[in-house]
Amino acid sequence: MSAATHDGLHELSGLYALGALTGEERADFESHLRSCDQCQADVRSFAPVVDALARAVPEREPSTALRGRVLDAVAGDRPARVDRARAIDTTGRRRWLSDAGWLAAAACFAGMLVVGYTARDRQHRVIALESRLREVTLRANAADRQIADVRRTASEAQASLAVLMAPDVARVDLEGQPVAPSATGRAYWSRSRGLVFTASNLPPLPAGRVYQLWVVTARAPVSAGLLTPDAAGRVTATIDTPRDLPTPVAMAVTLEPEGGVAAPTGEKYLVGTPGAGL
Amino acid sequence: MWLWAVADRFNSSSGPRGGREDQHGDQQAIGRVAAGDRDALADLYDRHSRAVFSLALRIVQDWSEAEDVVQEVFSQAWSQAARHDPARGAVAAWLLTIARSRAIDRVRHRRARPDSAGEQAVAAWPDPAPLQDLALLADEQIARVRAAVTRLPFLQRIALELAYFEGLTQSEIAERLEQPLGTVKTRIRQALIKLRESLGGAEA
Repeated sequence: MSAATHDGLHELSGLYALGALTGEERADFESHLRSCDQCQADVRSFAPVVDALARAVPEREPSTALRGRVLDAVAGDRPARVDRARAIDTTGRRRWLSDAGWLAAAACFAGMLVVGYTARDRQHRVIALESRLREVTLRANAADRQIADVRRTASEAQASLAVLMAPDVARVDLEGQPVAPSATGRAYWSRSRGLVFTASNLPPLPAGRVYQLWVVTARAPVSAGLLTPDAAGRVTATIDTPRDLPTPVAMAVTLEPEGGVAAPTGEKYLVGTPGAGL
Repeated sequence: MWLWAVADRFNSSSGPRGGREDQHGDQQAIGRVAAGDRDALADLYDRHSRAVFSLALRIVQDWSEAEDVVQEVFSQAWSQAARHDPARGAVAAWLLTIARSRAIDRVRHRRARPDSAGEQAVAAWPDPAPLQDLALLADEQIARVRAAVTRLPFLQRIALELAYFEGLTQSEIAERLEQPLGTVKTRIRQALIKLRESLGGAEA
Protein backbone atom coordinates (compact mmCIF):
# COMPACT_ATOMS: atom_id res chain seq x y z
CA MET A 1 0.00 0.00 0.00
CA SER A 2 1.53 3.28 -1.07
CA ALA A 3 1.19 6.41 1.01
CA ALA A 4 -0.02 8.27 -2.05
CA THR A 5 -2.85 5.83 -2.55
CA HIS A 6 -3.89 6.01 1.06
CA ASP A 7 -3.84 9.81 1.13
CA GLY A 8 -6.00 9.96 -1.94
CA LEU A 9 -8.44 7.30 -0.83
CA HIS A 10 -8.63 7.91 2.90
CA GLU A 11 -11.00 10.82 2.43
CA LEU A 12 -13.53 8.46 0.88
CA SER A 13 -14.03 6.35 4.00
CA GLY A 14 -17.13 8.25 5.07
CA LEU A 15 -18.69 8.05 1.61
CA TYR A 16 -17.97 4.36 1.53
CA ALA A 17 -19.65 3.79 4.88
CA LEU A 18 -22.61 5.81 3.62
CA GLY A 19 -22.95 3.51 0.64
CA ALA A 20 -22.37 6.44 -1.68
CA LEU A 21 -19.42 5.17 -3.68
CA THR A 22 -20.01 3.35 -6.91
CA GLY A 23 -18.16 1.79 -9.77
CA GLU A 24 -14.43 2.04 -10.08
CA GLU A 25 -14.06 4.41 -7.17
CA ARG A 26 -15.75 1.93 -4.88
CA ALA A 27 -13.66 -0.95 -6.20
CA ASP A 28 -10.46 1.04 -5.70
CA PHE A 29 -11.40 1.97 -2.16
CA GLU A 30 -12.45 -1.56 -1.27
CA SER A 31 -9.22 -3.01 -2.49
CA HIS A 32 -7.27 -0.41 -0.50
CA LEU A 33 -9.44 -1.11 2.53
CA ARG A 34 -8.35 -4.72 2.67
CA SER A 35 -4.86 -3.76 3.67
CA CYS A 36 -5.38 -0.50 5.56
CA ASP A 37 -6.19 -0.66 9.26
CA GLN A 38 -6.66 3.07 9.51
CA CYS A 39 -9.28 3.16 6.82
CA GLN A 40 -11.02 0.15 8.30
CA ALA A 41 -11.19 1.93 11.64
CA ASP A 42 -12.47 5.06 9.92
CA VAL A 43 -15.21 3.19 8.07
CA ARG A 44 -16.21 1.47 11.28
CA SER A 45 -16.38 4.81 13.07
CA PHE A 46 -18.93 6.09 10.57
CA ALA A 47 -21.07 2.97 10.62
CA PRO A 48 -23.17 4.03 13.65
CA VAL A 49 -23.84 7.38 11.97
CA VAL A 50 -25.20 5.68 8.88
CA ASP A 51 -27.24 3.33 11.02
CA ALA A 52 -28.69 6.30 12.87
CA LEU A 53 -29.61 8.00 9.58
CA ALA A 54 -31.42 4.85 8.52
CA ARG A 55 -33.36 4.78 11.78
CA ALA A 56 -34.10 8.48 12.02
CA VAL A 57 -36.71 8.30 9.27
CA PRO A 58 -40.41 8.55 10.08
CA GLU A 59 -41.59 5.25 11.48
CA ARG A 60 -44.32 3.41 9.62
CA GLU A 61 -45.81 -0.03 9.99
CA PRO A 62 -46.34 -2.00 6.78
CA SER A 63 -49.67 -3.71 6.11
CA THR A 64 -50.34 -6.87 8.11
CA ALA A 65 -50.64 -8.88 4.89
CA LEU A 66 -47.00 -8.28 4.09
CA ARG A 67 -45.76 -10.74 6.65
CA GLY A 68 -47.49 -13.64 4.96
CA ARG A 69 -46.28 -12.51 1.55
CA VAL A 70 -42.67 -12.36 2.72
CA LEU A 71 -42.78 -15.79 4.29
CA ASP A 72 -44.57 -17.28 1.31
CA ALA A 73 -41.97 -15.82 -1.03
CA VAL A 74 -39.19 -17.83 0.58
CA ALA A 75 -41.23 -20.99 1.01
CA GLY A 76 -39.86 -22.65 -2.07
CA ASP A 77 -36.21 -21.65 -1.71
CA ARG A 78 -33.50 -23.20 0.28
CA PRO A 79 -31.02 -20.72 1.74
CA ALA A 80 -27.30 -21.10 1.10
CA ARG A 81 -25.78 -23.73 3.37
CA VAL A 82 -23.86 -22.68 6.40
CA ASP A 83 -20.27 -23.08 5.31
CA ARG A 84 -18.52 -22.62 8.61
CA ALA A 85 -19.27 -22.91 12.29
CA ARG A 86 -19.92 -19.58 13.89
CA ALA A 87 -19.69 -18.60 17.53
CA ILE A 88 -22.58 -16.53 18.70
CA ASP A 89 -21.32 -13.06 19.37
CA THR A 90 -23.06 -11.32 22.22
CA THR A 91 -21.11 -8.11 22.53
CA GLY A 92 -23.79 -5.50 22.90
CA ARG A 93 -23.02 -3.17 25.69
CA ARG A 94 -25.17 -0.17 25.01
CA ARG A 95 -27.85 0.53 27.50
CA TRP A 96 -31.32 1.33 26.24
CA LEU A 97 -33.51 4.09 27.47
CA SER A 98 -37.00 3.36 28.61
CA ASP A 99 -39.75 4.31 26.22
CA ALA A 100 -40.46 7.41 28.27
CA GLY A 101 -36.96 8.73 27.73
CA TRP A 102 -37.23 8.07 24.06
CA LEU A 103 -40.50 9.96 23.70
CA ALA A 104 -39.00 12.92 25.49
CA ALA A 105 -36.11 12.95 23.04
CA ALA A 106 -38.57 12.78 20.16
CA ALA A 107 -40.43 15.76 21.57
CA CYS A 108 -37.20 17.76 21.50
CA PHE A 109 -36.64 16.72 17.94
CA ALA A 110 -40.06 17.81 16.69
CA GLY A 111 -39.36 21.30 17.95
CA MET A 112 -35.98 21.43 16.24
CA LEU A 113 -37.02 19.98 12.94
CA VAL A 114 -37.24 23.07 10.77
CA VAL A 115 -33.87 23.98 9.33
CA GLY A 116 -32.56 27.40 10.29
CA TYR A 117 -35.45 28.42 12.53
CA THR A 118 -35.55 28.85 16.27
CA ALA A 119 -38.53 28.10 18.43
CA ARG A 120 -39.15 31.79 18.82
CA ASP A 121 -39.55 32.51 15.10
CA ARG A 122 -42.37 34.68 13.94
CA GLN A 123 -45.14 33.72 11.53
CA HIS A 124 -43.98 33.53 7.98
CA ARG A 125 -46.35 34.42 5.18
CA VAL A 126 -46.03 32.87 1.79
CA ILE A 127 -47.67 33.50 -1.48
CA ALA A 128 -48.90 29.97 -2.09
CA LEU A 129 -51.85 28.62 -0.18
CA GLU A 130 -51.78 25.01 -1.20
CA SER A 131 -48.93 22.58 -0.78
CA ARG A 132 -48.03 20.89 -4.07
CA LEU A 133 -44.59 19.70 -3.12
CA ARG A 134 -45.56 16.56 -1.32
CA GLU A 135 -48.00 15.46 -4.01
CA VAL A 136 -45.46 15.51 -6.78
CA THR A 137 -43.03 13.38 -4.85
CA LEU A 138 -45.58 10.63 -4.39
CA ARG A 139 -46.66 8.13 -6.94
CA ALA A 140 -50.27 7.03 -7.10
CA ASN A 141 -51.11 4.88 -4.12
CA ALA A 142 -53.87 2.41 -3.60
CA ALA A 143 -55.38 3.63 -0.39
CA ASP A 144 -56.18 7.26 0.47
CA ARG A 145 -55.22 6.54 4.04
CA GLN A 146 -51.76 5.65 2.93
CA ILE A 147 -51.42 8.78 0.82
CA ALA A 148 -52.50 10.99 3.68
CA ASP A 149 -50.14 9.19 5.97
CA VAL A 150 -47.08 9.62 3.81
CA ARG A 151 -47.97 13.24 3.15
CA ARG A 152 -47.99 13.98 6.84
CA THR A 153 -44.53 12.64 7.18
CA ALA A 154 -43.04 14.64 4.33
CA SER A 155 -40.83 17.01 6.21
CA GLU A 156 -39.38 20.27 5.12
CA ALA A 157 -36.09 18.52 4.48
CA GLN A 158 -37.78 16.17 2.07
CA ALA A 159 -39.54 19.07 0.42
CA SER A 160 -36.21 20.76 -0.22
CA LEU A 161 -34.84 17.52 -1.63
CA ALA A 162 -37.88 17.32 -3.88
CA VAL A 163 -37.15 20.78 -5.26
CA LEU A 164 -33.54 19.90 -5.90
CA MET A 165 -34.49 16.68 -7.62
CA ALA A 166 -37.01 18.36 -9.90
CA PRO A 167 -36.30 18.04 -13.61
CA ASP A 168 -37.01 21.76 -14.05
CA VAL A 169 -34.88 23.08 -11.21
CA ALA A 170 -32.91 26.24 -11.80
CA ARG A 171 -30.38 27.96 -9.60
CA VAL A 172 -30.20 31.62 -8.64
CA ASP A 173 -27.10 33.00 -6.94
CA LEU A 174 -27.63 36.07 -4.82
CA GLU A 175 -24.87 38.53 -3.98
CA GLY A 176 -24.47 40.69 -0.93
CA GLN A 177 -25.23 44.34 -1.65
CA PRO A 178 -23.09 47.24 -0.35
CA VAL A 179 -24.93 47.18 2.96
CA ALA A 180 -23.91 43.51 3.49
CA PRO A 181 -21.05 42.73 1.14
CA SER A 182 -20.17 39.35 2.66
CA ALA A 183 -23.69 38.01 2.64
CA THR A 184 -24.47 35.33 0.08
CA GLY A 185 -27.58 33.53 -0.96
CA ARG A 186 -28.65 30.73 -3.22
CA ALA A 187 -32.04 29.67 -4.43
CA TYR A 188 -33.16 26.58 -6.23
CA TRP A 189 -36.50 27.01 -7.93
CA SER A 190 -38.74 24.52 -9.66
CA ARG A 191 -42.03 25.58 -11.14
CA SER A 192 -43.51 22.21 -10.27
CA ARG A 193 -42.04 21.83 -6.81
CA GLY A 194 -41.31 25.17 -5.23
CA LEU A 195 -38.41 27.14 -3.91
CA VAL A 196 -35.50 26.44 -1.62
CA PHE A 197 -33.60 29.46 -0.37
CA THR A 198 -30.46 29.51 1.71
CA ALA A 199 -28.35 32.45 2.83
CA SER A 200 -25.38 33.07 5.06
CA ASN A 201 -23.58 36.01 6.64
CA LEU A 202 -26.73 38.08 6.91
CA PRO A 203 -26.27 40.83 9.47
CA PRO A 204 -28.24 40.43 12.69
CA LEU A 205 -31.72 41.90 12.54
CA PRO A 206 -32.29 45.25 14.23
CA ALA A 207 -35.21 45.33 16.63
CA GLY A 208 -38.60 45.45 14.96
CA ARG A 209 -37.27 44.35 11.58
CA VAL A 210 -37.24 41.23 9.49
CA TYR A 211 -35.72 40.11 6.21
CA GLN A 212 -38.17 39.51 3.41
CA LEU A 213 -37.56 37.38 0.35
CA TRP A 214 -38.87 38.57 -2.99
CA VAL A 215 -39.36 36.82 -6.26
CA VAL A 216 -39.18 39.59 -8.81
CA THR A 217 -41.34 38.94 -11.83
CA ALA A 218 -41.87 41.05 -14.94
CA ARG A 219 -45.08 42.32 -13.38
CA ALA A 220 -44.17 43.00 -9.75
CA PRO A 221 -42.13 41.59 -6.89
CA VAL A 222 -43.93 38.82 -5.06
CA SER A 223 -43.21 38.10 -1.42
CA ALA A 224 -41.89 34.61 -0.82
CA GLY A 225 -41.75 34.92 2.93
CA LEU A 226 -40.00 36.32 5.95
CA LEU A 227 -36.57 35.23 7.10
CA THR A 228 -34.95 35.33 10.50
CA PRO A 229 -31.31 34.26 10.43
CA ASP A 230 -29.75 32.35 13.28
CA ALA A 231 -26.92 33.66 15.41
CA ALA A 232 -24.44 32.73 12.69
CA GLY A 233 -26.33 34.75 10.09
CA ARG A 234 -27.67 31.70 8.28
CA VAL A 235 -31.18 30.93 7.21
CA THR A 236 -32.82 28.34 5.00
CA ALA A 237 -36.40 28.21 3.87
CA THR A 238 -38.41 25.83 1.71
CA ILE A 239 -41.35 27.57 0.16
CA ASP A 240 -44.36 26.56 -1.86
CA THR A 241 -44.80 28.66 -4.93
CA PRO A 242 -47.91 28.69 -7.11
CA ARG A 243 -47.55 27.02 -10.46
CA ASP A 244 -48.79 30.13 -12.23
CA LEU A 245 -46.06 32.31 -10.78
CA PRO A 246 -44.62 34.37 -13.62
CA THR A 247 -41.05 33.41 -14.40
CA PRO A 248 -38.73 35.21 -12.00
CA VAL A 249 -36.38 37.76 -13.49
CA ALA A 250 -34.60 38.27 -10.18
CA MET A 251 -34.68 37.46 -6.51
CA ALA A 252 -33.95 39.80 -3.66
CA VAL A 253 -33.87 40.02 0.11
CA THR A 254 -34.77 43.34 1.70
CA LEU A 255 -34.98 44.57 5.27
CA GLU A 256 -38.54 45.38 6.23
CA PRO A 257 -40.64 46.16 9.27
CA GLU A 258 -41.51 43.19 11.45
CA GLY A 259 -44.41 41.30 9.92
CA GLY A 260 -43.37 42.09 6.37
CA VAL A 261 -44.87 44.35 3.75
CA ALA A 262 -46.89 43.92 0.59
CA ALA A 263 -44.26 45.45 -1.68
CA PRO A 264 -40.56 46.03 -1.04
CA THR A 265 -39.74 49.26 0.74
CA GLY A 266 -36.49 48.62 2.53
CA GLU A 267 -32.85 48.35 1.69
CA LYS A 268 -31.69 45.45 -0.51
CA TYR A 269 -29.33 42.99 1.16
CA LEU A 270 -29.16 40.25 -1.43
CA VAL A 271 -29.88 40.38 -5.13
CA GLY A 272 -29.49 37.78 -7.81
CA THR A 273 -30.62 36.85 -11.26
CA PRO A 274 -31.17 33.38 -12.62
CA GLY A 275 -28.56 31.72 -14.76
CA ALA A 276 -29.28 30.12 -18.08
CA GLY A 277 -32.10 27.68 -18.21
CA LEU A 278 -34.70 29.49 -16.16
CA MET B 1 -44.23 29.54 5.43
CA TRP B 2 -45.62 26.25 6.26
CA LEU B 3 -43.92 24.44 9.09
CA TRP B 4 -44.14 20.79 8.36
CA ALA B 5 -44.60 19.16 11.71
CA VAL B 6 -43.23 15.68 11.88
CA ALA B 7 -44.73 14.23 14.97
CA ASP B 8 -44.73 10.66 13.78
CA ARG B 9 -42.16 9.59 16.35
CA PHE B 10 -44.91 9.99 18.91
CA ASN B 11 -46.54 6.89 17.52
CA SER B 12 -46.56 4.06 19.99
CA SER B 13 -43.61 1.83 19.36
CA SER B 14 -45.36 -1.49 19.34
CA GLY B 15 -42.37 -3.36 18.04
CA PRO B 16 -39.73 -4.39 20.55
CA ARG B 17 -36.71 -2.12 20.66
CA GLY B 18 -33.45 -4.02 20.71
CA GLY B 19 -31.17 -4.60 23.59
CA ARG B 20 -28.53 -7.10 24.45
CA GLU B 21 -31.02 -9.97 24.53
CA ASP B 22 -32.47 -8.94 21.19
CA GLN B 23 -29.10 -8.80 19.52
CA HIS B 24 -28.37 -12.25 20.87
CA GLY B 25 -31.76 -13.33 19.58
CA ASP B 26 -30.91 -11.88 16.17
CA GLN B 27 -27.63 -13.77 16.01
CA GLN B 28 -29.36 -17.00 16.86
CA ALA B 29 -32.14 -16.32 14.39
CA ILE B 30 -29.77 -15.60 11.53
CA GLY B 31 -27.98 -18.85 12.25
CA ARG B 32 -31.25 -20.73 12.10
CA VAL B 33 -32.27 -18.91 8.94
CA ALA B 34 -29.04 -20.05 7.33
CA ALA B 35 -30.08 -23.58 8.21
CA GLY B 36 -33.42 -23.14 6.50
CA ASP B 37 -35.63 -22.33 9.48
CA ARG B 38 -38.50 -20.19 8.21
CA ASP B 39 -39.78 -19.48 11.73
CA ALA B 40 -36.46 -17.83 12.41
CA LEU B 41 -36.99 -15.59 9.41
CA ALA B 42 -40.43 -14.76 10.75
CA ASP B 43 -38.72 -13.87 14.01
CA LEU B 44 -36.42 -11.43 12.26
CA TYR B 45 -39.37 -10.04 10.35
CA ASP B 46 -41.31 -9.39 13.52
CA ARG B 47 -38.38 -7.57 15.03
CA HIS B 48 -37.12 -5.58 12.07
CA SER B 49 -39.80 -5.19 9.42
CA ARG B 50 -40.90 -1.83 10.75
CA ALA B 51 -37.41 -0.31 10.58
CA VAL B 52 -36.83 -1.85 7.14
CA PHE B 53 -40.19 -0.66 5.84
CA SER B 54 -39.79 2.84 7.24
CA LEU B 55 -36.44 3.31 5.54
CA ALA B 56 -37.72 1.84 2.28
CA LEU B 57 -40.76 4.10 2.37
CA ARG B 58 -38.63 7.17 3.03
CA ILE B 59 -36.56 6.40 -0.03
CA VAL B 60 -39.12 5.12 -2.54
CA GLN B 61 -42.01 7.31 -1.32
CA ASP B 62 -44.59 4.75 -2.38
CA TRP B 63 -46.33 2.41 -0.01
CA SER B 64 -46.64 -0.68 -2.18
CA GLU B 65 -43.14 -0.30 -3.61
CA ALA B 66 -41.81 -0.02 -0.09
CA GLU B 67 -43.55 -3.26 0.81
CA ASP B 68 -41.96 -4.87 -2.24
CA VAL B 69 -38.59 -3.70 -0.98
CA VAL B 70 -39.27 -5.31 2.41
CA GLN B 71 -40.00 -8.56 0.63
CA GLU B 72 -36.77 -8.30 -1.32
CA VAL B 73 -34.78 -7.59 1.81
CA PHE B 74 -36.02 -10.61 3.68
CA SER B 75 -35.63 -12.78 0.60
CA GLN B 76 -32.06 -11.63 0.37
CA ALA B 77 -31.58 -12.26 4.09
CA TRP B 78 -33.00 -15.74 3.55
CA SER B 79 -30.58 -16.58 0.78
CA GLN B 80 -27.52 -14.83 2.21
CA ALA B 81 -27.89 -15.56 5.92
CA ALA B 82 -24.92 -17.90 5.85
CA ARG B 83 -22.77 -15.09 4.54
CA HIS B 84 -23.57 -12.71 7.37
CA ASP B 85 -20.65 -12.61 9.77
CA PRO B 86 -21.73 -11.58 13.28
CA ALA B 87 -18.23 -10.32 13.96
CA ARG B 88 -18.77 -7.71 11.29
CA GLY B 89 -21.93 -6.18 12.60
CA ALA B 90 -25.39 -6.39 13.98
CA VAL B 91 -28.07 -8.19 12.01
CA ALA B 92 -30.35 -5.18 12.31
CA ALA B 93 -27.82 -2.86 10.70
CA TRP B 94 -27.18 -5.43 7.97
CA LEU B 95 -30.86 -5.58 7.09
CA LEU B 96 -31.09 -1.80 6.93
CA THR B 97 -28.15 -1.49 4.57
CA ILE B 98 -29.69 -4.10 2.29
CA ALA B 99 -32.97 -2.19 2.50
CA ARG B 100 -31.29 1.00 1.40
CA SER B 101 -29.55 -0.64 -1.53
CA ARG B 102 -32.73 -2.27 -2.82
CA ALA B 103 -34.74 0.92 -2.33
CA ILE B 104 -32.13 2.97 -4.16
CA ASP B 105 -32.17 0.39 -6.97
CA ARG B 106 -35.84 1.10 -7.49
CA VAL B 107 -35.55 4.84 -7.28
CA ARG B 108 -32.71 4.92 -9.78
CA HIS B 109 -34.52 2.56 -12.09
CA ARG B 110 -37.62 4.70 -11.95
CA ARG B 111 -35.56 7.80 -12.66
CA ALA B 112 -33.85 6.23 -15.64
CA ARG B 113 -37.02 5.12 -17.35
CA PRO B 114 -38.32 8.43 -18.74
CA ASP B 115 -35.03 9.08 -20.48
CA SER B 116 -34.34 5.66 -21.88
CA ALA B 117 -35.31 4.97 -25.44
CA GLY B 118 -35.49 1.24 -24.88
CA GLU B 119 -34.38 -1.02 -22.12
CA GLN B 120 -31.72 0.87 -20.26
CA ALA B 121 -29.83 -1.31 -17.86
CA VAL B 122 -29.45 0.39 -14.52
CA ALA B 123 -26.67 -1.21 -12.54
CA ALA B 124 -27.81 -2.67 -9.23
CA TRP B 125 -26.72 -0.51 -6.35
CA PRO B 126 -23.65 -2.01 -4.70
CA ASP B 127 -24.35 -4.11 -1.66
CA PRO B 128 -23.72 -2.74 1.81
CA ALA B 129 -20.28 -2.03 3.23
CA PRO B 130 -19.09 -5.09 5.10
CA LEU B 131 -17.70 -3.22 8.10
CA GLN B 132 -20.41 -2.38 10.56
CA ASP B 133 -20.60 -1.46 14.15
CA LEU B 134 -21.20 -4.30 16.56
CA ALA B 135 -23.31 -2.49 19.07
CA LEU B 136 -26.87 -1.36 18.56
CA LEU B 137 -27.84 2.28 18.80
CA ALA B 138 -29.87 3.59 21.69
CA ASP B 139 -32.98 5.59 20.87
CA GLU B 140 -31.40 8.59 22.45
CA GLN B 141 -28.45 8.37 20.10
CA ILE B 142 -30.73 8.19 17.09
CA ALA B 143 -32.52 11.30 18.33
CA ARG B 144 -29.20 13.04 18.73
CA VAL B 145 -28.12 12.30 15.20
CA ARG B 146 -31.49 13.40 13.88
CA ALA B 147 -31.16 16.70 15.72
CA ALA B 148 -27.58 17.10 14.52
CA VAL B 149 -28.75 16.67 10.93
CA THR B 150 -31.06 19.66 11.31
CA ARG B 151 -28.13 21.76 12.51
CA LEU B 152 -25.90 20.94 9.55
CA PRO B 153 -25.19 23.80 7.18
CA PHE B 154 -27.74 23.56 4.42
CA LEU B 155 -25.41 22.54 1.60
CA GLN B 156 -23.76 19.85 3.73
CA ARG B 157 -27.11 18.46 4.71
CA ILE B 158 -28.50 18.51 1.20
CA ALA B 159 -25.42 16.78 -0.23
CA LEU B 160 -25.62 14.12 2.47
CA GLU B 161 -29.31 13.51 1.92
CA LEU B 162 -29.03 13.45 -1.86
CA ALA B 163 -26.38 10.77 -1.44
CA TYR B 164 -28.11 8.71 1.20
CA PHE B 165 -31.83 9.06 0.56
CA GLU B 166 -31.92 9.89 -3.11
CA GLY B 167 -29.11 7.59 -4.14
CA LEU B 168 -27.37 10.08 -6.39
CA THR B 169 -23.77 9.37 -7.25
CA GLN B 170 -21.19 11.97 -6.31
CA SER B 171 -21.05 13.18 -9.89
CA GLU B 172 -24.81 13.45 -10.06
CA ILE B 173 -24.90 15.50 -6.88
CA ALA B 174 -22.16 17.78 -8.18
CA GLU B 175 -24.12 18.29 -11.37
CA ARG B 176 -27.38 18.97 -9.62
CA LEU B 177 -25.99 21.41 -7.09
CA GLU B 178 -23.68 22.93 -9.69
CA GLN B 179 -20.71 22.41 -7.43
CA PRO B 180 -17.29 20.89 -8.06
CA LEU B 181 -17.07 17.16 -7.39
CA GLY B 182 -14.37 17.65 -4.75
CA THR B 183 -16.54 20.15 -2.90
CA VAL B 184 -19.44 17.72 -2.77
CA LYS B 185 -17.26 14.93 -1.40
CA THR B 186 -15.76 17.20 1.21
CA ARG B 187 -19.16 18.50 2.27
CA ILE B 188 -20.53 15.02 2.79
CA ARG B 189 -17.47 13.97 4.72
CA GLN B 190 -17.76 17.07 6.92
CA ALA B 191 -21.41 16.33 7.53
CA LEU B 192 -20.63 12.76 8.55
CA ILE B 193 -17.88 13.93 10.87
CA LYS B 194 -20.27 16.34 12.58
CA LEU B 195 -22.86 13.62 12.95
CA ARG B 196 -20.25 11.26 14.32
CA GLU B 197 -19.32 13.87 16.91
CA SER B 198 -22.94 14.14 17.96
CA LEU B 199 -22.85 10.43 18.73
CA GLY B 200 -19.68 10.72 20.78
CA GLY B 201 -19.70 10.10 24.49
CA ALA B 202 -22.82 8.02 24.28
CA GLU B 203 -21.42 5.04 26.06
CA ALA B 204 -23.64 3.47 28.64
